[in-house]
Amino acid sequence: MSLSVKNITKKYGDKLVVDDLNFEMSEPGVYALLGTNGAGKTTSIRIILGMLAKNSGEVLWQGKPLDVVNTNVGYLAEERGLYPKYSLMDQLMYFAKLRSVDKHTALDRIKYWSNRLGVDEYIFPKKGKSRKASKPNQADQLSKGNQQKIQLMVALLSDPELLIIDEPFSGLDPLNTDLFKSIIREEISKSKYLIMSSHQMPTIEEFCSDITILDRGKVKLQGNLSTIKKSYGRVNLLVKCEQDIAPYIASLNLQIVNKTPSEYHLRVEGEDQAMAFLSKLIGDNITVIKFELREPSLHEIFVEKVGVVQDEK
Amino acid sequence: MKSNITGWKDVYSFTLKQVLKTKAYRISYIILVLVVLLSMPIAAKLLFNNAENENGPSPITKVYVNNMTQFTDVSFEDIKSIDSFKHIDFEPMNKDYNEVVGQITEDERHSIILNISEENGAYSLHLSMIKDGPLKKSQLQRLGDVLLSSFTNSRMESIGVSDEQLTLLQTPVVSKITMTDINGEEILDEDTSISLSEYMFVYGILFFVMMTTVLMGTQVATSIVTEKSTRVVEYLLITVKPLALMIGKVFAMLTATIIQMLSMVAALVISNKISANYSSGNGSLLSQVLPSDLFANINIMNLLLCIVLVFLGLLFYAVLAGLAGATVSRLEELNEGLMLFTIVSMVGIYIGLGAANTLMSSGTNTYIMFAFLFPLSSPFILPGAILVGKASLLLVGIAIVLQLAFIVILFRFVAGVYETLILHNGNTIKIKELLKIARRQ
Repeated sequence: MSLSVKNITKKYGDKLVVDDLNFEMSEPGVYALLGTNGAGKTTSIRIILGMLAKNSGEVLWQGKPLDVVNTNVGYLAEERGLYPKYSLMDQLMYFAKLRSVDKHTALDRIKYWSNRLGVDEYIFPKKGKSRKASKPNQADQLSKGNQQKIQLMVALLSDPELLIIDEPFSGLDPLNTDLFKSIIREEISKSKYLIMSSHQMPTIEEFCSDITILDRGKVKLQGNLSTIKKSYGRVNLLVKCEQDIAPYIASLNLQIVNKTPSEYHLRVEGEDQAMAFLSKLIGDNITVIKFELREPSLHEIFVEKVGVVQDEK
Repeated sequence: MKSNITGWKDVYSFTLKQVLKTKAYRISYIILVLVVLLSMPIAAKLLFNNAENENGPSPITKVYVNNMTQFTDVSFEDIKSIDSFKHIDFEPMNKDYNEVVGQITEDERHSIILNISEENGAYSLHLSMIKDGPLKKSQLQRLGDVLLSSFTNSRMESIGVSDEQLTLLQTPVVSKITMTDINGEEILDEDTSISLSEYMFVYGILFFVMMTTVLMGTQVATSIVTEKSTRVVEYLLITVKPLALMIGKVFAMLTATIIQMLSMVAALVISNKISANYSSGNGSLLSQVLPSDLFANINIMNLLLCIVLVFLGLLFYAVLAGLAGATVSRLEELNEGLMLFTIVSMVGIYIGLGAANTLMSSGTNTYIMFAFLFPLSSPFILPGAILVGKASLLLVGIAIVLQLAFIVILFRFVAGVYETLILHNGNTIKIKELLKIARRQ
């Protein structure tokens, strides 16, 4: 199985909102679409899902044009969509039915996921003396986080082969973020295809092997995350010492990326320059608390790519 | 493999179930049924309580005749042949006028005074009753009409006109205008107009279909906008095609509205039966209003034709409302979006209303034929016309075919633009833009 997105272009009038987007998932895993607000992530996802017409390009699933209605696709939209006044159970059963999940299986899955996400009290509310549900059982009575959990349930009810999640962690507290992460890991372990859009870089680094960075509809960087990082080399040096090391930095003409009261973030040309700097510090009896030479983080790459482009503009 | 309409049944059953479960639907349902149920008995009570039973005895017991004219041979004894008035005593006023008034006010509250006067050869009959007494003006009016007739007869007799001559004099003169052909033969001009009561019946059906159309159209549009504004539609569209979504929704709303309307019809029938108990023996309220020969045209075939016509009409307007609902993104903009639906339905309703009026005033003509066949107006006017026997089977058949053709055209148009509209988020799409989208598709 594979997913191929080929030469997708979308225009609104004269405005190009997605410009020649290409990527491929030849094996299960998580593909990340990154970008600032308005970069074209959600538009790209809607085009992949066939909700928006494209000006050119194609989306192939198993070598054939992707027909979401006839493929087991799960979708978690950035903007949550639930009927505000209908019972949650009715809605979940409805979405399951539309996905051709039989009633018995749907009920089992609803029980499993509601228990897993800690929302079973809203989906299976106990009736009070007044015959009314003792807990809220409609979407508009739930918090944003709980609505998001119900929405994730909707996406997972059909046990989809392809799961598309748009900003899955926005508005979640740390505990629920961890809960969502564990569920995503579980889905990855089931060899599923996931497309995730986010602007939370650490999260992307945690899950995704391949990325595309979009900026105003254009692809700014694309490929395997490890390869991209390796291509930058280990040029980020984090140094923390007891004494002031500013003169040493100046003498070696090192570039300061960031400086905090206790730590320097430096840009070096390579490992040799870093080792020379360390030898000098040790030779002068400077107490080194931290000396870390690493590849750039995704956040740094993102800021560099998108920031540079925006500066140029 | 799911087709363009696969899944519409799931959308239909879910939407219908949820609509029937909503408080708004249930409350409006109960209120409407209760209003209809109570309307006839209340109307009958108001109408018949005030109106005296024409066959029942008049509450007037005595008439003091104050004859101030030279004509002394006045006798009202002949009205005793009428059952309602046979108990009434006529007594010449021999006492002082004020004394009689006092007597009536104190003891004889069901008595009245008849003043007969003459001025320049013209006679005047003036009936007086006490203020705030038990008698009503309408009861005096009824007696007054009979007294006038009796008085006229007395006068005629006094001048020597016999009963036969009087009958001859009172026979109305009828005038008639006809057209003749070249041979002088009369060209028969069939009267195709309807009576007032038939008009009221046709108008009632038109009003009923109009209410149903507006109610259902608004519900369809609201439902679609709600799904758009809550973004549910994005989740739905990865499981069903837009057309299936719309068909399911339209039919669900159609069913919900038909349930409501059929319940109202049932309540109307029950209400009408109850109204008979409040009509002082005049029968049910509708039997007073409906054309007496109405039932001659009510048969299975006619009823089926009416149901088909109304159903097709509702389907057409529901699809139009669905389209209107999809052109807006927020509930607040719904009125703006419904403009197209409102204009089109108003055109249909007004053509229908005009046709009903024309049918009463001048009978069948070209305009009526147009209104019967025009798909926008036929669902409103034709059912009523069928039931009063003013539409032939052939005409109804053509109207149904035209209606179907109109629905197919609308459906094809909607199928072309709906996918774009349903995901549109922003300003309301105007008709011009709608046509552009259709052309692009």
